[in-house]
Amino acid sequence: MAADEPASHEAEAGPVGRAPAIRPFLLTAGRVSGGGTAPPLPLETQVVSTPTGLSVLNSLTFEHHDIVAACRSPQSVAELAAGLRLHLNVIRVLAEDLCAAEYLAIYVPDIRATHDVSVLRRIIDGLRAVPD
Amino acid sequence: MVSVPSPTETERPPLPVKLVIAGGFGVGKTTAVASISEIRPLTTEAAITEVAAGVDDLTHTPAKTTTTVAMDFGCLTIDPTLKLYLFGTPGQERFGFMWDDLVEGALGGLVIVDTRRLDDCYAAVDYFEYKDIPFVVAINAFDGTIEHDLDEVRWALDMAEHVPLIVFDARKTGSVRDALLAVLQLALSRAEAAVTT
Ligand SMILES: Nc1nc2c(ncn2[C@@H]2O[C@H](COP(=O)(O)OP(=O)(O)O)[C@@H](O)[C@H]2O)c(=O)[nH]1
Ligand SMILES: [Mg+2]
Repeated sequence: MAADEPASHEAEAGPVGRAPAIRPFLLTAGRVSGGGTAPPLPLETQVVSTPTGLSVLNSLTFEHHDIVAACRSPQSVAELAAGLRLHLNVIRVLAEDLCAAEYLAIYVPDIRATHDVSVLRRIIDGLRAVPD
Repeated sequence: MVSVPSPTETERPPLPVKLVIAGGFGVGKTTAVASISEIRPLTTEAAITEVAAGVDDLTHTPAKTTTTVAMDFGCLTIDPTLKLYLFGTPGQERFGFMWDDLVEGALGGLVIVDTRRLDDCYAAVDYFEYKDIPFVVAINAFDGTIEHDLDEVRWALDMAEHVPLIVFDARKTGSVRDALLAVLQLALSRAEAAVTT
């Protein structure tokens, strides 16, 4: 078993909050990830565009477009934030929105899978193979 | 041959695992990540919560402020189904800080120490101890020399007996690899112990 099933990990589409003056948070209509009850997406969480997302890519604008386009190949939310030069928490919120719209699949790593003995042994073997 | 995914199927991502590299400013975190990462280290802005130091009145919640910090990271593909991420977490010195957001789910930590500025790593050592995350303390031997011997460092940092203390060179791939292996061995021992009990 690799990563967990794609989580719907829905961000509440509640009332639009007061948007702070700082631009990154305007993108997310004032919401930032981690403020609610759901734990924030771990940095290494993998995100991948769905066929649906890619099929509507041309109709998406700004950051939504950039995220779905960038996630043609799977990457972590951290890589996505770095690549698009957006704050991590902005990426978290936008990714959750795009996931709710089924344009993006989010694979939240399962802690039992990542801390599994056989997985740890594979990492150790893989790392040992790195030459000096 | 590399298969190009057709637009009608979603590529299955690898299982991502992460290690955290901590320590004071300028101890060699980014250098260490760069030495082993298959990509040039990337930087992103992350938020950490700083808890104001010196609050000892338990009836009051310590003042918390959120600070945006630059965080460097890199990665290493183990195989197509498994990818190791290395996050260099900032934060040191006088503040208490909460990296929970960055560290959640980490396999372990590597605390890098510059023996000329031992104070800078207290916060990281305390944090991993408090969170019960397996970690190794690694002295970055700038130019091959360290200013204190290992026992002095262990004593100065008030390190528990079971925490490994090693000397490494953040600029050398093999040295960083071995330091990370030391962390992973701790994580493995812990996972094995959990299975047998
Ligand atoms: N001579 C020497 N310089 C180092 C070593 N490790 C890091 N540096 C240098 O120290 C500076 C700070 O390192 P950096 O990795 O950016 O520290 P960070 O703030 O912990 O990420 C950089 O100029 C590095 O090139 C080392 O082992 N020896
Ligand atoms: Mg750095």
